[in-house]
Formats: sequence, C-alpha cells, structure tokens
Amino acid sequence: MKNDSHQAAAADFLVIGYGNTLRSDDGVGVKVAEAVEALHLSGVVVLACHQLTPELAELVSAARAVVFVDAAADASTEVELRQLAPADGAQLMAHAADPRSLLAFAQQLFGRCPPAWWLTIPVENLGFGDDLSPVAQRGFEKAMQEIKALCSS
Amino acid sequence: MTETNTRTITISPVTRIEGHAKITIQLDAAGNVADTQFHVVEFRGFEKFCEGRFFAEMPQITSRICGICPVSHLLASAKACDAVLGAAIPRPAKLLRELMHMGQLTQSHALSFFHLSAPDLLLGYDADPAIRNVVGLIQQHPEIAIKGVRLRKYGQEVIKLVGGRKIHPDFPVPGGVNKALTVAERDEMRKGLPEAFAQTKFALDLLKKYQDAHRDEVETFASFDSNYMGLVQPDGALEHYDGNLRFCGADGKIVEDQIPPDNYLDVIAEATEPWSYLKFPFIKRLGYPAGMYRVGPLARLNLASKISTPQANAALREWKAGNPVRRSSFYYHWARLIEILYTLERIQELLDDPDICSTDIMVSGRPENGQGVGVIEAPRGTLFHHYWVDGTGRIEKVNLIVATGHNNLAMNRSVLSVAKKYVKGNQLQEGMLNRVEAAIRCYDPCLSCSTHAVGQMPLHVQLVAPDGQVLDELARG
Repeated sequence: MKNDSHQAAAADFLVIGYGNTLRSDDGVGVKVAEAVEALHLSGVVVLACHQLTPELAELVSAARAVVFVDAAADASTEVELRQLAPADGAQLMAHAADPRSLLAFAQQLFGRCPPAWWLTIPVENLGFGDDLSPVAQRGFEKAMQEIKALCSS
Repeated sequence: MTETNTRTITISPVTRIEGHAKITIQLDAAGNVADTQFHVVEFRGFEKFCEGRFFAEMPQITSRICGICPVSHLLASAKACDAVLGAAIPRPAKLLRELMHMGQLTQSHALSFFHLSAPDLLLGYDADPAIRNVVGLIQQHPEIAIKGVRLRKYGQEVIKLVGGRKIHPDFPVPGGVNKALTVAERDEMRKGLPEAFAQTKFALDLLKKYQDAHRDEVETFASFDSNYMGLVQPDGALEHYDGNLRFCGADGKIVEDQIPPDNYLDVIAEATEPWSYLKFPFIKRLGYPAGMYRVGPLARLNLASKISTPQANAALREWKAGNPVRRSSFYYHWARLIEILYTLERIQELLDDPDICSTDIMVSGRPENGQGVGVIEAPRGTLFHHYWVDGTGRIEKVNLIVATGHNNLAMNRSVLSVAKKYVKGNQLQEGMLNRVEAAIRCYDPCLSCSTHAVGQMPLHVQLVAPDGQVLDELARG
C-alpha cells in the first residue's frame, strides 16, 4: 500500500495519542494528539487512535522518534514523561496496552525501534462523557508543553 | 451448583480476548468437574447513557463501545437510523457501507487468527504462558506474525480509504454515507488484494495442516449440539451486510427462515443470570436454556446454502464435507479464514461495480418512525441495534444485542465441555487451564462490546471451597 499522510518517514517525529473519547478523561491522549496535529508542526506526524494495535509497529519502526500519550493508568498526580525501551509483553490489544510491547514488535518484526517516550496524564473521571475534568485539563496543557519541547529537540 | 466438599477453580481474566472475564470451575468431591461458569464482570452502561440523545448521534456514540470493532456498531447503528428516517439509501451508499464492512471483517478475523489463536496452534497449548502469546509467535515464527500484521493492515486500510479514518470513521450517516470513493482510492485497494489473498491462503494451509495432525482434538474440542442463527441472502447464500435471519437446529435443518430483522423480538428473547452482566439470548419457542444458539463464523457457514464467490464457495464445500453442521467449536477458526477469503473476493466485486465511485451517496429526511432496527453480521456474529425515539428524534430506549451476548450460553457449554475433558483432580496445570480459555477464544468474544464498557481486572486465580474459604490463589502478570 502507498504511504499515506500518516506514514512516518525516517525524519519524522511520531506522536500517538490513544484512549476512549467517550469515557471522559480516558480520551485525553486523543485530545492531545488532535491539538498537536492542529499546530501543523514541521517534521511531526500525529496519530489519534482508540488503542494500540500490532499494525502500528511498522509505522513506529520508520519514525525518527515516537511519543505515546495516554491517560495515566495508576494514581499518578503529575504529568510524567518517561523514556521507554522495548519490552516483551502480551498486553497489546487490551485497553490498558503497554507501548513497550509495540516497541518490541517494531524491533522484532521490522528491525528498528526509535527513541521513545511515554507521556501519561493524571485523570480523575473515567465515566461516560466527552469532557475533561479540571485535573485532566491541567494535565492536557502541561502535556502540550512537553510535546512541543520534545518535538523541537 | 453447590455441593459439600466441592472446590472451585477460577481463571481470571481469560487472556487474549477483548475485554475481561473469569471462569469458575466447580469440582465435586472426587475431583471431577461438576459445573462451570463463564463470568462477565464488567458493567453495562451504554444503553442507559444513550437515552435522551438525538438519534443521528448514535453511530458516533455506539462506535466508541470498542476500538476493535467500531465499524460494526457504526454500520448497524446507521441502519437503525435509516429505519427511523424511513429512508431507502442510494445503491452507491449501500455498496460503500458493505465495502467498509468487508474491510472490517478482514482485519478483525486476521487479528483473531494470527494474534489471538495462532499462539496456541503453533506454540502448543502446553507451552510456557510467558511465550504462548503473540510475542512468542513473533520470536519463533516472525514470518507468520508479519503476515498477520499485513493482512490486518490491509483491512484497516480499506476502512480508512472508504471512510477517511481507520478508527471511529464517521462515514456512515443516517440516510447514506458522507464521502464518495475516488478512483485513486479504489485503485489503491485493488493493489493490495493479491498479497491479502496470498496471506489468507497461507493461513488456510497452516490451519488445515494443524487439523490433519490433531484430528481427534479438533473434532471433539468444545463439541456439542446447538441451534444456529445468522443472516442469509434470499437464496440462502452467506450474507454479512443485509439479508434476513435464518435459524437451524443441531441437525442442520432450517427451523425459521427469511425472518425480517425488524421482527427479531418475535423470535428471540433475553434472560439474565445473577452471576454475569451479560444477558443470555435464546430462541423463544424452544425456551431457556434449550433455545441456546450460536452465532458467528461457525453458525454462518452452517446456515449458508452456498457462498456467492467462487473461491470461498469451494472452501465452504470442503469445510462442510457433507456434514449437515460442524459441531466442534474448533471449526470457528477455519470458518473465520474462509470468511476472509469471501471478504476479499467481495471487495474485488465491489471495486469492479460501476456505481462504486458514484457521488449519489445520501438522502435526507425527518424521523418518520418511532423505532428503527439495524442488523448486520459483525465479525463475531449477529449484531442488533434497536432504537425507540420520540417525535423529535430523541432516543427513549436502546436495545443492543451483540454477538458475544448471543454466544453467551454456548460459551458456557464450551467451557463445561472442555473442562470435563482436561481439568482433573488436584493439579492446576497451566496447559489444562489454557485449553479452557482456548474454548472461549474460539468464539473470539469481545467483552467490552458485550457489556458496553471499558475496564480491566487484575489476573487472579482462586480455588474456593463451598463455604467461601480460599484454598489456593495464583496470580498472573
């Protein structure tokens, strides 16, 4: 298949935001991705999706670097930016997928794993709805600053 | 069922299916399996959440039940909305919706076979659970893992080219679709077909070799009598997007045929059990639980008189091999691959249709009816969306019956059948527990859809005495 606008080239910084936008704060990763895309940053490719899936491995393997953006699954109260290394694991299609598994797929299937980060945002409401709580909204704004800094580095 | 001196083994959660559940196995005093229960413990919510919403929002709302099969909910919902409008959508719109649906079936079945079921088949049911998963598959059979990724990617690309986005496309709308197909997009899909066909035929060969080498296990794995339900074309051919409902019994004889999907409540009803959040659909005139039926690839191929495309039809004849029905749940895997063959052939037909790039893709109107039913054959089985609306088009009530819900009783029977054969005495061996889970995986259930929820349970295995005392515990991951 031909490369489309979401196919990262080796020079591209890939931003992947994922989550369920109808589960309130669970959608914060998607909202961050959509906001980054609206900035039209040079050399940045953005993907917003519901969850991480195996076919993303090829896209990841081709990027210069990648940052995954998601609601924090633990009780974290701060936006955290962690550098990731590939790690074998089984949780790739589940709702709480681990991007390290996707990195491992990229390495094993396509021979390359770029530098990668996991940006997690604290949340307080995962009920039905499409708004962000004040906690998630503050996290969203902090996350945007982190991503702009990463993309320009 | 409770008895004195019985023990309960719980597998929680079932790995490598969408969503989470647990299995409870009750042993009698002699250490034999007495009963089993397949628990779904996630809560239900979407049906209530949708009340008060404008009906035209429903495709976008219900598609967010799940990130693996949003297209199925989008299409069933759009059909229900068409019915509320009282609209007959233009032929090109119907072709495009079906094209998207074929992409969805391709990617979902590819995921199920290559990533969820292949680890058991290629690495063995008794392999170390640390590697008996897609990661282990990649390590030991990377060429097969790549084929699965690429076949699934083709299905995803069809969805994206037709609808504009891979995940949560907003393309089907009440009255039609909101995007026509360009010639370039059509040609892009055509280019990917040869490789997709090759990957599917590879998978079919792989599965048939496994079946030939494990004939006894295949024929007896979660094998039991059941009824079957699915959509068929007017001539009885396999159908996924439109058609009418057909039911057949355990002997393959048709018991109800060409039932308009709108009339589904005349034929099926739903029961509830205190130990699960899933409902238990059954055929009304057979009662509960005798009216248990299966849906999905196994049911569809048992019900189909033929398949309208040549390669898949030849594969269907081989699958049936003169049997009135296939009973073993293992045949779900083979049926899934035959359906991929059909979807690829059907994609080819649709792309060759002169109307596929037409711009006559939508009709508009006001809600004319107080309710609407939309039914399609999702990858896992028959999916019903039924909406009741007030005079302004606001949703008053929603009934969603998803494939995994239809299969609920059957999954319980499958677990019992496999547990009786493989779970013995006081030994909690990983391989025996994995076979019980494998029985569930045959159905490729999506529990997030079934309970319309998102959630995760920690892995926890408990051995519990009838008095509630925890005798033993295991944790995974």
